[in-house]
Amino acid sequence: MKFSLKNIAEPALFFLALLALWEILVKVVGVPAFILPPPRDLYTSFTAKFFILGHHSLITFTEAVGGFALSFVLGVGFAVGVVYSRHLQNTIYPLIVILYAMPKSAFAPLMVIWIGYGLFSKIAIAFLVAFFPIVVNTVVGLKEVEPELLDLARINRGSAWGVFKKIRLPNSLPYMFAGIKVALVLSVTGAIVAEFVAANEGLGYLVLQANYSLDTAFALVILLILALLSLALFVVVDVVQKKMVPWSAEVRQLEGSF
Amino acid sequence: MALLIVVEDVGRIFRGGAKTVYALEGASFTVQEGSFVSLVGPSGCGKSTLLKIASGLLPATSGRVLVNGKSVDGPLENVGMVFQSPVLLKWRSVLGNVLLPVEFARLDRGEYVEKAKSLIRLVGLQGFEEMPPYELSGGMQQRVSLCRALVTDPQILLMDEPFGALDAMTRDELDVELLRIWGEKKMTVVFVTHNIQEAVFLSDSVVVMSPRPGRVIRELAVDLPRPRAIEMMSSPEFGRYTLEIRSMLASAGGTRPPAVGSTT
Ligand SMILES: Nc1ncnc2c1ncn2[C@@H]1O[C@H](COP(=O)(O)OP(=O)(O)OP(=O)(O)O)[C@@H](O)[C@H]1O
Ligand SMILES: [Mg+2]
Repeated sequence: MKFSLKNIAEPALFFLALLALWEILVKVVGVPAFILPPPRDLYTSFTAKFFILGHHSLITFTEAVGGFALSFVLGVGFAVGVVYSRHLQNTIYPLIVILYAMPKSAFAPLMVIWIGYGLFSKIAIAFLVAFFPIVVNTVVGLKEVEPELLDLARINRGSAWGVFKKIRLPNSLPYMFAGIKVALVLSVTGAIVAEFVAANEGLGYLVLQANYSLDTAFALVILLILALLSLALFVVVDVVQKKMVPWSAEVRQLEGSF
Repeated sequence: MALLIVVEDVGRIFRGGAKTVYALEGASFTVQEGSFVSLVGPSGCGKSTLLKIASGLLPATSGRVLVNGKSVDGPLENVGMVFQSPVLLKWRSVLGNVLLPVEFARLDRGEYVEKAKSLIRLVGLQGFEEMPPYELSGGMQQRVSLCRALVTDPQILLMDEPFGALDAMTRDELDVELLRIWGEKKMTVVFVTHNIQEAVFLSDSVVVMSPRPGRVIRELAVDLPRPRAIEMMSSPEFGRYTLEIRSMLASAGGTRPPAVGSTT
Protein backbone atom coordinates (compact mmCIF):
# COMPACT_ATOMS: atom_id res chain seq x y z
CA MET A 1 0.00 0.00 0.00
CA LYS A 2 1.28 3.43 -0.89
CA PHE A 3 0.73 6.37 1.42
CA SER A 4 -0.62 8.66 -1.21
CA LEU A 5 -2.72 11.65 -0.24
CA LYS A 6 -5.82 9.81 -1.34
CA ASN A 7 -5.06 6.81 0.84
CA ILE A 8 -4.85 9.02 3.92
CA ALA A 9 -7.51 11.55 3.05
CA GLU A 10 -10.23 9.03 2.32
CA PRO A 11 -10.33 7.19 5.66
CA ALA A 12 -9.70 10.44 7.55
CA LEU A 13 -12.69 12.11 5.91
CA PHE A 14 -14.77 9.04 6.55
CA PHE A 15 -13.88 9.10 10.25
CA LEU A 16 -14.73 12.78 10.56
CA ALA A 17 -18.07 12.16 8.90
CA LEU A 18 -18.72 9.28 11.29
CA LEU A 19 -17.91 11.47 14.31
CA ALA A 20 -20.15 14.22 13.04
CA LEU A 21 -23.00 11.76 12.47
CA TRP A 22 -22.50 10.35 15.96
CA GLU A 23 -22.57 13.84 17.54
CA ILE A 24 -25.70 14.81 15.62
CA LEU A 25 -27.56 11.58 16.27
CA VAL A 26 -26.88 11.66 19.99
CA LYS A 27 -28.14 15.27 20.15
CA VAL A 28 -31.20 14.74 17.97
CA VAL A 29 -32.34 11.47 19.51
CA GLY A 30 -31.45 12.65 22.99
CA VAL A 31 -29.51 9.59 24.14
CA PRO A 32 -28.47 9.98 27.80
CA ALA A 33 -24.70 10.55 28.17
CA PHE A 34 -24.17 7.48 30.37
CA ILE A 35 -25.38 5.28 27.53
CA LEU A 36 -23.69 6.94 24.61
CA PRO A 37 -21.94 10.25 25.17
CA PRO A 38 -21.23 12.49 22.16
CA PRO A 39 -17.67 12.48 20.81
CA ARG A 40 -17.14 15.95 22.27
CA ASP A 41 -17.43 14.45 25.77
CA LEU A 42 -14.82 11.87 24.88
CA TYR A 43 -12.44 14.61 23.89
CA THR A 44 -13.03 16.55 27.09
CA SER A 45 -12.55 13.44 29.15
CA PHE A 46 -9.34 12.63 27.30
CA THR A 47 -7.76 16.05 27.87
CA ALA A 48 -8.89 16.25 31.49
CA LYS A 49 -7.44 12.86 32.41
CA PHE A 50 -4.46 12.85 30.10
CA PHE A 51 -1.83 12.16 32.75
CA ILE A 52 -3.84 9.53 34.56
CA LEU A 53 -4.34 7.80 31.23
CA GLY A 54 -0.64 8.02 30.51
CA HIS A 55 0.29 6.43 33.81
CA HIS A 56 -2.13 3.53 33.53
CA SER A 57 -1.35 2.96 29.84
CA LEU A 58 2.27 2.53 30.76
CA ILE A 59 1.32 -0.12 33.33
CA THR A 60 -0.78 -2.08 30.86
CA PHE A 61 1.84 -1.67 28.17
CA THR A 62 4.50 -3.08 30.48
CA GLU A 63 2.34 -6.06 31.39
CA ALA A 64 1.41 -6.83 27.80
CA VAL A 65 4.87 -6.40 26.34
CA GLY A 66 6.46 -8.21 29.30
CA GLY A 67 4.13 -11.17 28.85
CA PHE A 68 4.69 -11.11 25.12
CA ALA A 69 8.48 -10.99 25.46
CA LEU A 70 8.39 -13.96 27.78
CA SER A 71 6.12 -15.89 25.42
CA PHE A 72 8.40 -15.08 22.50
CA VAL A 73 11.57 -16.30 24.17
CA LEU A 74 10.02 -19.39 25.71
CA GLY A 75 7.73 -20.04 22.73
CA VAL A 76 10.49 -20.02 20.13
CA GLY A 77 12.69 -22.11 22.39
CA PHE A 78 9.91 -24.58 22.97
CA ALA A 79 9.08 -24.74 19.25
CA VAL A 80 12.68 -25.60 18.42
CA GLY A 81 12.59 -28.26 21.14
CA VAL A 82 9.40 -29.79 19.77
CA VAL A 83 10.75 -29.90 16.23
CA TYR A 84 14.04 -31.48 17.23
CA SER A 85 13.02 -33.77 20.07
CA ARG A 86 10.58 -36.58 19.66
CA HIS A 87 10.36 -36.87 23.44
CA LEU A 88 9.21 -33.29 23.83
CA GLN A 89 6.76 -33.77 21.00
CA ASN A 90 5.34 -36.86 22.68
CA THR A 91 5.18 -35.55 26.22
CA ILE A 92 4.88 -31.83 26.72
CA TYR A 93 3.33 -30.87 23.40
CA PRO A 94 0.00 -32.67 24.08
CA LEU A 95 -0.05 -30.97 27.47
CA ILE A 96 0.34 -27.60 25.80
CA VAL A 97 -2.49 -28.44 23.43
CA ILE A 98 -4.77 -29.21 26.36
CA LEU A 99 -3.71 -25.98 28.01
CA TYR A 100 -4.51 -24.18 24.79
CA ALA A 101 -8.03 -25.58 24.78
CA MET A 102 -8.66 -24.00 28.18
CA PRO A 103 -9.77 -20.37 28.34
CA LYS A 104 -6.49 -18.95 29.51
CA SER A 105 -7.92 -15.78 30.99
CA ALA A 106 -9.85 -18.00 33.39
CA PHE A 107 -6.47 -18.54 35.02
CA ALA A 108 -6.42 -14.92 36.12
CA PRO A 109 -7.99 -15.48 39.57
CA LEU A 110 -5.64 -18.41 40.15
CA MET A 111 -2.66 -16.33 39.13
CA VAL A 112 -3.55 -13.88 41.86
CA ILE A 113 -3.35 -16.71 44.38
CA TRP A 114 -0.17 -18.11 42.88
CA ILE A 115 1.77 -14.98 42.03
CA GLY A 116 0.03 -12.17 43.84
CA TYR A 117 -1.77 -8.97 43.20
CA GLY A 118 0.91 -7.05 41.35
CA LEU A 119 2.39 -6.73 37.90
CA PHE A 120 3.60 -10.30 37.59
CA SER A 121 0.22 -12.02 37.72
CA LYS A 122 -0.79 -9.85 34.74
CA ILE A 123 2.40 -10.62 32.88
CA ALA A 124 1.69 -14.30 33.52
CA ILE A 125 -1.73 -14.11 31.87
CA ALA A 126 -0.41 -12.05 28.94
CA PHE A 127 2.28 -14.70 28.58
CA LEU A 128 -0.23 -17.55 28.64
CA VAL A 129 -2.42 -16.14 25.89
CA ALA A 130 0.54 -15.15 23.71
CA PHE A 131 2.54 -18.35 24.08
CA PHE A 132 0.50 -20.66 21.90
CA PRO A 133 0.33 -18.67 18.67
CA ILE A 134 4.10 -18.20 18.84
CA VAL A 135 4.73 -21.91 19.37
CA VAL A 136 2.33 -23.15 16.70
CA ASN A 137 3.48 -20.76 14.00
CA THR A 138 7.15 -21.29 14.73
CA VAL A 139 6.76 -25.07 14.70
CA VAL A 140 5.07 -24.92 11.30
CA GLY A 141 7.73 -22.58 9.94
CA LEU A 142 10.56 -24.78 11.14
CA LYS A 143 8.95 -27.90 9.68
CA GLU A 144 7.66 -26.66 6.33
CA VAL A 145 10.99 -26.90 4.60
CA GLU A 146 11.25 -28.20 1.05
CA PRO A 147 12.58 -31.77 1.34
CA GLU A 148 14.90 -31.14 -1.61
CA LEU A 149 16.82 -28.64 0.49
CA LEU A 150 17.39 -31.28 3.12
CA ASP A 151 18.63 -33.66 0.40
CA LEU A 152 21.01 -30.96 -0.74
CA ALA A 153 22.31 -30.59 2.80
CA ARG A 154 22.78 -34.35 3.17
CA ILE A 155 24.65 -34.68 -0.10
CA ASN A 156 27.02 -31.92 0.96
CA ARG A 157 27.47 -33.29 4.48
CA GLY A 158 25.73 -30.32 6.06
CA SER A 159 25.57 -30.38 9.86
CA ALA A 160 22.31 -30.31 11.81
CA TRP A 161 23.30 -26.89 13.08
CA GLY A 162 23.91 -25.70 9.52
CA VAL A 163 20.49 -26.94 8.43
CA PHE A 164 18.91 -25.16 11.37
CA LYS A 165 20.75 -21.89 10.86
CA LYS A 166 20.72 -21.72 7.08
CA ILE A 167 17.37 -23.35 6.28
CA ARG A 168 14.92 -24.00 9.10
CA LEU A 169 15.29 -20.82 11.10
CA PRO A 170 15.09 -18.33 8.21
CA ASN A 171 12.30 -20.41 6.73
CA SER A 172 10.32 -20.03 9.95
CA LEU A 173 10.62 -16.23 10.15
CA PRO A 174 7.53 -15.26 8.12
CA TYR A 175 5.46 -17.75 10.12
CA MET A 176 7.01 -16.54 13.36
CA PHE A 177 6.08 -12.96 12.54
CA ALA A 178 2.50 -13.98 11.81
CA GLY A 179 2.47 -15.58 15.26
CA ILE A 180 4.02 -12.50 16.86
CA LYS A 181 1.31 -10.25 15.47
CA VAL A 182 -1.46 -12.41 16.87
CA ALA A 183 0.41 -12.86 20.15
CA LEU A 184 0.90 -9.14 20.71
CA VAL A 185 -2.75 -8.27 20.28
CA LEU A 186 -3.73 -11.19 22.51
CA SER A 187 -1.24 -10.19 25.19
CA VAL A 188 -2.86 -6.75 25.46
CA THR A 189 -6.24 -8.44 25.89
CA GLY A 190 -4.72 -10.84 28.42
CA ALA A 191 -3.31 -8.00 30.49
CA ILE A 192 -6.65 -6.18 30.51
CA VAL A 193 -8.61 -9.23 31.58
CA ALA A 194 -6.11 -9.91 34.35
CA GLU A 195 -6.57 -6.35 35.53
CA PHE A 196 -10.35 -6.80 35.54
CA VAL A 197 -9.91 -9.63 38.00
CA ALA A 198 -7.66 -7.99 40.51
CA ALA A 199 -5.67 -4.80 40.15
CA ASN A 200 -5.31 -1.27 41.35
CA GLU A 201 -3.52 0.00 38.30
CA GLY A 202 -3.70 -0.29 34.53
CA LEU A 203 -6.25 0.48 31.85
CA GLY A 204 -8.38 -2.55 32.74
CA TYR A 205 -8.65 -1.31 36.30
CA LEU A 206 -9.43 2.18 35.00
CA VAL A 207 -12.26 0.92 32.77
CA LEU A 208 -13.87 -0.73 35.77
CA GLN A 209 -13.57 2.49 37.77
CA ALA A 210 -15.16 4.45 34.94
CA ASN A 211 -17.97 1.91 34.79
CA TYR A 212 -18.68 2.13 38.52
CA SER A 213 -19.10 5.88 38.25
CA LEU A 214 -21.09 5.58 35.01
CA ASP A 215 -18.43 7.68 33.29
CA THR A 216 -19.12 6.16 29.87
CA ALA A 217 -17.15 8.80 28.01
CA PHE A 218 -14.02 7.94 29.96
CA ALA A 219 -14.56 4.20 29.48
CA LEU A 220 -14.82 4.72 25.74
CA VAL A 221 -11.67 6.84 25.74
CA ILE A 222 -9.83 4.03 27.47
CA LEU A 223 -11.06 1.51 24.91
CA LEU A 224 -9.84 3.76 22.13
CA ILE A 225 -6.47 4.04 23.80
CA LEU A 226 -6.32 0.27 24.05
CA ALA A 227 -7.09 0.00 20.36
CA LEU A 228 -4.33 2.47 19.58
CA LEU A 229 -1.92 0.60 21.82
CA SER A 230 -2.56 -2.70 20.03
CA LEU A 231 -2.39 -1.02 16.68
CA ALA A 232 0.90 0.69 17.49
CA LEU A 233 2.44 -2.60 18.58
CA PHE A 234 1.17 -4.24 15.40
CA VAL A 235 2.63 -1.52 13.21
CA VAL A 236 6.01 -1.73 14.95
CA VAL A 237 6.14 -5.47 14.31
CA ASP A 238 5.08 -4.96 10.72
CA VAL A 239 7.87 -2.46 10.13
CA VAL A 240 10.44 -4.77 11.73
CA GLN A 241 9.14 -7.64 9.61
CA LYS A 242 9.46 -5.69 6.37
CA LYS A 243 13.06 -4.86 7.31
CA MET A 244 14.07 -8.27 8.58
CA VAL A 245 12.03 -10.56 6.34
CA PRO A 246 11.47 -8.76 3.07
CA TRP A 247 10.55 -12.03 1.41
CA SER A 248 7.58 -12.75 3.67
CA ALA A 249 5.20 -11.09 1.22
CA GLU A 250 6.48 -13.72 -1.20
CA VAL A 251 5.59 -16.53 1.18
CA ARG A 252 2.12 -15.16 1.73
CA GLN A 253 1.63 -14.84 -2.00
CA LEU A 254 2.61 -18.46 -2.44
CA GLU A 255 0.19 -19.58 0.22
CA GLY A 256 -2.53 -17.52 -1.34
CA SER A 257 -2.03 -18.79 -4.85
CA PHE A 258 -2.14 -22.51 -4.10
CA MET B 1 35.54 -44.58 -21.36
CA ALA B 2 35.03 -46.15 -17.99
CA LEU B 3 31.83 -47.29 -16.37
CA LEU B 4 30.93 -44.75 -13.73
CA ILE B 5 27.53 -45.86 -12.48
CA VAL B 6 26.26 -49.42 -12.48
CA VAL B 7 22.67 -49.92 -11.37
CA GLU B 8 22.29 -53.60 -10.63
CA ASP B 9 18.90 -55.23 -10.18
CA VAL B 10 17.66 -52.41 -7.99
CA GLY B 11 14.31 -52.90 -6.31
CA ARG B 12 12.51 -50.62 -3.91
CA ILE B 13 9.42 -51.29 -1.88
CA PHE B 14 7.67 -48.56 0.10
CA ARG B 15 5.78 -49.90 3.06
CA GLY B 16 3.67 -47.35 4.77
CA GLY B 17 0.33 -47.64 6.51
CA ALA B 18 -2.18 -49.75 4.63
CA LYS B 19 -0.45 -49.76 1.27
CA THR B 20 2.74 -51.34 0.02
CA VAL B 21 4.11 -49.79 -3.15
CA TYR B 22 6.47 -51.74 -5.36
CA ALA B 23 8.21 -48.76 -6.91
CA LEU B 24 11.14 -50.50 -8.61
CA GLU B 25 11.79 -54.12 -9.44
CA GLY B 26 15.06 -55.32 -10.87
CA ALA B 27 16.07 -52.11 -12.61
CA SER B 28 19.50 -52.29 -14.23
CA PHE B 29 21.45 -49.94 -16.42
CA THR B 30 24.91 -48.44 -16.70
CA VAL B 31 26.28 -44.97 -17.20
CA GLN B 32 29.65 -44.32 -18.86
CA GLU B 33 31.84 -41.68 -17.33
CA GLY B 34 31.29 -38.35 -19.02
CA SER B 35 28.14 -39.42 -20.82
CA PHE B 36 24.68 -37.93 -20.83
CA VAL B 37 21.99 -40.46 -19.94
CA SER B 38 18.26 -39.82 -19.74
CA LEU B 39 15.63 -41.80 -17.91
CA VAL B 40 12.16 -41.81 -19.46
CA GLY B 41 9.11 -43.68 -18.30
CA PRO B 42 5.51 -43.22 -17.29
CA SER B 43 4.67 -41.18 -14.23
CA GLY B 44 5.14 -43.10 -11.01
CA CYS B 45 7.48 -45.74 -12.46
CA GLY B 46 10.19 -44.92 -9.97
CA LYS B 47 12.48 -42.52 -11.83
CA SER B 48 12.86 -40.13 -8.93
CA THR B 49 13.27 -43.05 -6.57
CA LEU B 50 16.02 -44.45 -8.78
CA LEU B 51 17.87 -41.12 -8.75
CA LYS B 52 17.63 -40.99 -4.98
CA ILE B 53 18.97 -44.51 -4.66
CA ALA B 54 21.80 -43.73 -7.07
CA SER B 55 22.79 -40.67 -5.02
CA GLY B 56 22.68 -42.69 -1.80
CA LEU B 57 19.89 -40.58 -0.31
CA LEU B 58 17.58 -43.57 -0.22
CA PRO B 59 18.54 -47.20 0.36
CA ALA B 60 17.46 -49.84 -2.16
CA THR B 61 15.37 -52.73 -0.91
CA SER B 62 17.24 -55.12 -3.18
CA GLY B 63 20.08 -54.94 -5.64
CA ARG B 64 22.81 -52.32 -5.52
CA VAL B 65 24.34 -49.32 -7.20
CA LEU B 66 28.05 -49.06 -7.86
CA VAL B 67 29.68 -45.70 -8.40
CA ASN B 68 33.35 -45.72 -9.33
CA GLY B 69 33.26 -49.44 -8.56
CA LYS B 70 32.16 -48.88 -4.98
CA SER B 71 28.79 -49.91 -3.63
CA VAL B 72 26.71 -46.89 -2.60
CA ASP B 73 25.63 -47.07 1.03
CA GLY B 74 25.17 -43.44 2.01
CA PRO B 75 24.84 -40.01 0.43
CA LEU B 76 27.50 -39.57 -2.24
CA GLU B 77 29.77 -36.57 -2.06
CA ASN B 78 30.56 -36.01 -5.70
CA VAL B 79 26.99 -35.37 -6.78
CA GLY B 80 25.13 -32.25 -7.82
CA MET B 81 21.35 -32.20 -7.88
CA VAL B 82 18.77 -30.19 -9.79
CA PHE B 83 15.10 -30.71 -8.99
CA GLN B 84 11.89 -30.01 -10.81
CA SER B 85 11.37 -26.82 -8.82
CA PRO B 86 14.34 -24.55 -8.23
CA VAL B 87 13.98 -24.65 -4.39
CA LEU B 88 16.08 -21.55 -3.88
CA LEU B 89 16.38 -19.83 -0.50
CA LYS B 90 14.26 -16.71 -0.63
CA TRP B 91 16.41 -15.02 1.99
CA ARG B 92 19.59 -15.30 -0.03
CA SER B 93 20.79 -13.58 -3.14
CA VAL B 94 21.48 -15.53 -6.31
CA LEU B 95 25.15 -15.72 -5.37
CA GLY B 96 24.34 -16.78 -1.81
CA ASN B 97 22.15 -19.56 -3.15
CA VAL B 98 24.84 -20.83 -5.47
CA LEU B 99 27.27 -20.96 -2.55
CA LEU B 100 24.96 -22.93 -0.25
CA PRO B 101 26.52 -26.37 -0.99
CA VAL B 102 29.97 -24.86 -0.45
CA GLU B 103 28.92 -23.77 3.03
CA PHE B 104 27.32 -27.09 3.87
CA ALA B 105 30.46 -28.90 2.76
CA ARG B 106 32.51 -26.54 4.97
CA LEU B 107 34.66 -25.52 2.04
CA ASP B 108 36.34 -22.14 2.00
CA ARG B 109 33.59 -19.81 0.84
CA GLY B 110 36.05 -17.13 -0.28
CA GLU B 111 37.72 -19.53 -2.66
CA TYR B 112 34.44 -20.39 -4.31
CA VAL B 113 33.02 -16.91 -4.78
CA GLU B 114 34.84 -16.38 -8.08
CA LYS B 115 33.86 -19.84 -9.22
CA ALA B 116 30.22 -19.20 -8.39
CA LYS B 117 30.32 -15.91 -10.23
CA SER B 118 31.80 -17.48 -13.32
CA LEU B 119 29.08 -20.16 -13.27
CA ILE B 120 26.47 -17.44 -12.99
CA ARG B 121 28.06 -15.80 -16.03
CA LEU B 122 28.13 -19.15 -17.80
CA VAL B 123 24.36 -19.48 -17.55
CA GLY B 124 23.90 -15.88 -18.68
CA LEU B 125 22.87 -14.34 -15.38
CA GLN B 126 25.68 -11.83 -14.96
CA GLY B 127 24.38 -8.75 -13.22
CA PHE B 128 21.81 -10.74 -11.24
CA GLU B 129 24.24 -11.96 -8.55
CA GLU B 130 22.80 -9.85 -5.77
CA MET B 131 19.13 -10.22 -6.73
CA PRO B 132 16.73 -12.18 -4.54
CA PRO B 133 15.59 -15.28 -6.44
CA TYR B 134 11.89 -14.45 -6.34
CA GLU B 135 12.54 -11.51 -8.62
CA LEU B 136 13.73 -13.87 -11.36
CA SER B 137 11.65 -15.78 -13.91
CA GLY B 138 11.18 -19.54 -13.56
CA GLY B 139 13.78 -20.25 -16.23
CA MET B 140 16.31 -17.95 -14.57
CA GLN B 141 15.67 -19.58 -11.20
CA GLN B 142 16.34 -22.99 -12.71
CA ARG B 143 19.63 -21.65 -14.10
CA VAL B 144 20.59 -20.58 -10.59
CA SER B 145 19.68 -24.03 -9.36
CA LEU B 146 21.99 -25.50 -12.02
CA CYS B 147 24.84 -23.25 -10.87
CA ARG B 148 24.22 -24.39 -7.30
CA ALA B 149 24.47 -28.01 -8.39
CA LEU B 150 27.74 -27.36 -10.25
CA VAL B 151 29.57 -25.14 -7.80
CA THR B 152 31.36 -27.97 -6.01
CA ASP B 153 32.46 -29.50 -9.34
CA PRO B 154 30.55 -32.75 -8.94
CA GLN B 155 31.53 -35.76 -10.98
CA ILE B 156 27.86 -36.64 -11.42
CA LEU B 157 24.96 -34.31 -12.06
CA LEU B 158 21.52 -35.74 -11.24
CA MET B 159 18.60 -33.85 -12.73
CA ASP B 160 15.00 -34.77 -11.95
CA GLU B 161 12.74 -33.24 -14.57
CA PRO B 162 14.60 -29.97 -14.17
CA PHE B 163 12.82 -28.16 -16.98
CA GLY B 164 9.47 -29.93 -16.69
CA ALA B 165 7.73 -26.93 -15.18
CA LEU B 166 8.92 -24.52 -17.85
CA ASP B 167 7.28 -23.54 -21.12
CA ALA B 168 8.48 -25.32 -24.27
CA MET B 169 10.52 -22.40 -25.57
CA THR B 170 12.40 -21.86 -22.34
CA ARG B 171 12.94 -25.58 -22.05
CA ASP B 172 14.54 -25.80 -25.51
CA GLU B 173 16.74 -22.88 -24.63
CA LEU B 174 17.86 -24.46 -21.37
CA ASP B 175 18.42 -27.85 -23.05
CA VAL B 176 20.84 -26.25 -25.49
CA GLU B 177 22.52 -24.39 -22.68
CA LEU B 178 22.82 -27.52 -20.58
CA LEU B 179 24.56 -29.32 -23.45
CA ARG B 180 26.98 -26.43 -23.84
CA ILE B 181 27.81 -26.49 -20.12
CA TRP B 182 28.11 -30.25 -20.16
CA GLY B 183 30.55 -29.97 -23.07
CA GLU B 184 32.59 -27.52 -21.07
CA LYS B 185 32.52 -29.20 -17.65
CA LYS B 186 32.56 -32.82 -18.79
CA MET B 187 30.54 -34.10 -15.84
CA THR B 188 28.37 -37.18 -16.13
CA VAL B 189 24.67 -36.36 -16.32
CA VAL B 190 21.69 -38.53 -15.41
CA PHE B 191 18.59 -36.70 -16.52
CA VAL B 192 14.99 -37.66 -15.77
CA THR B 193 12.30 -36.40 -18.10
CA HIS B 194 8.78 -37.09 -19.31
CA ASN B 195 9.62 -35.63 -22.63
CA ILE B 196 10.85 -38.15 -25.20
CA GLN B 197 12.11 -35.51 -27.61
CA GLU B 198 14.07 -33.85 -24.86
CA ALA B 199 15.59 -37.18 -23.86
CA VAL B 200 16.70 -37.96 -27.42
CA PHE B 201 17.96 -34.45 -28.03
CA LEU B 202 20.18 -34.39 -24.96
CA SER B 203 21.40 -37.92 -24.53
CA ASP B 204 24.05 -40.39 -25.51
CA SER B 205 21.79 -43.06 -24.14
CA VAL B 206 18.13 -43.18 -23.17
CA VAL B 207 17.01 -45.58 -20.45
CA VAL B 208 13.39 -46.52 -21.11
CA MET B 209 11.41 -47.70 -18.10
CA SER B 210 8.22 -49.72 -17.72
CA PRO B 211 5.23 -48.67 -15.62
CA ARG B 212 5.40 -49.40 -11.90
CA PRO B 213 7.06 -51.48 -10.65
CA GLY B 214 9.75 -49.85 -12.73
CA ARG B 215 12.13 -51.99 -14.74
CA VAL B 216 14.41 -50.96 -17.53
CA ILE B 217 12.94 -52.00 -20.87
CA ARG B 218 15.89 -50.87 -22.92
CA GLU B 219 18.99 -48.73 -22.93
CA LEU B 220 18.89 -47.07 -26.31
CA ALA B 221 22.10 -45.49 -27.62
CA VAL B 222 21.46 -42.24 -29.48
CA ASP B 223 24.00 -41.84 -32.27
CA LEU B 224 23.18 -38.35 -33.35
CA PRO B 225 26.12 -36.07 -34.05
CA ARG B 226 27.21 -33.43 -31.56
CA PRO B 227 27.04 -30.52 -31.05
CA ARG B 228 23.29 -30.76 -31.32
CA ALA B 229 21.01 -27.98 -32.39
CA ILE B 230 17.26 -27.63 -31.92
CA GLU B 231 16.71 -27.93 -35.70
CA MET B 232 17.87 -31.54 -35.50
CA MET B 233 14.58 -32.37 -33.85
CA SER B 234 12.93 -32.29 -37.25
CA SER B 235 15.41 -34.67 -38.90
CA PRO B 236 14.25 -38.18 -39.87
CA GLU B 237 16.86 -39.90 -37.67
CA PHE B 238 15.65 -37.94 -34.70
CA GLY B 239 12.10 -38.95 -35.52
CA ARG B 240 13.09 -42.60 -35.69
CA TYR B 241 14.54 -42.47 -32.19
CA THR B 242 11.50 -40.80 -30.66
CA LEU B 243 9.16 -43.17 -32.48
CA GLU B 244 11.09 -46.16 -31.26
CA ILE B 245 10.98 -45.00 -27.65
CA ARG B 246 7.34 -44.15 -27.97
CA SER B 247 6.40 -47.60 -29.22
CA MET B 248 8.50 -49.23 -26.51
CA LEU B 249 6.61 -47.26 -23.90
CA ALA B 250 3.33 -48.05 -25.60
CA SER B 251 3.90 -51.79 -25.73
CA ALA B 252 4.92 -51.67 -22.07
CA GLY B 253 1.51 -50.14 -21.41
CA GLY B 254 2.71 -46.77 -20.26
CA THR B 255 1.42 -44.45 -22.93
CA ARG B 256 -0.91 -44.27 -25.88
CA PRO B 257 0.31 -45.99 -29.07
CA PRO B 258 1.62 -43.57 -31.68
CA ALA B 259 -0.79 -42.45 -34.34
CA VAL B 260 -0.19 -43.92 -37.81
CA GLY B 261 2.22 -41.74 -39.78
CA SER B 262 3.37 -39.79 -36.78
CA THR B 263 7.08 -39.10 -36.70
CA THR B 264 7.52 -38.13 -33.08
N1 LIG C 1 8.64 -41.81 0.30
C1 LIG C 1 7.74 -42.58 -0.30
N2 LIG C 1 6.83 -43.29 0.44
C2 LIG C 1 5.92 -44.08 -0.16
N3 LIG C 1 5.81 -44.22 -1.48
C3 LIG C 1 6.65 -43.54 -2.28
C4 LIG C 1 7.66 -42.68 -1.72
N4 LIG C 1 8.36 -42.15 -2.74
C5 LIG C 1 7.82 -42.64 -3.86
N5 LIG C 1 6.79 -43.47 -3.59
C6 LIG C 1 5.99 -44.21 -4.57
O1 LIG C 1 6.87 -44.87 -5.43
C7 LIG C 1 6.40 -44.81 -6.76
C8 LIG C 1 7.47 -44.21 -7.64
O2 LIG C 1 7.65 -42.85 -7.30
P1 LIG C 1 8.64 -41.89 -8.06
O3 LIG C 1 8.49 -40.56 -7.47
O4 LIG C 1 9.99 -42.49 -8.07
O5 LIG C 1 8.05 -41.92 -9.53
P2 LIG C 1 8.50 -41.07 -10.81
O6 LIG C 1 8.81 -42.02 -11.88
O7 LIG C 1 9.56 -40.11 -10.43
O8 LIG C 1 7.16 -40.31 -11.16
P3 LIG C 1 6.99 -38.88 -11.84
O9 LIG C 1 7.36 -39.04 -13.27
O10 LIG C 1 5.54 -38.59 -11.69
O11 LIG C 1 7.86 -37.93 -11.10
C9 LIG C 1 5.12 -43.99 -6.72
O12 LIG C 1 4.04 -44.88 -6.76
C10 LIG C 1 5.18 -43.28 -5.42
O13 LIG C 1 3.89 -43.12 -4.90
MG1 LIG D 1 9.61 -38.00 -10.25
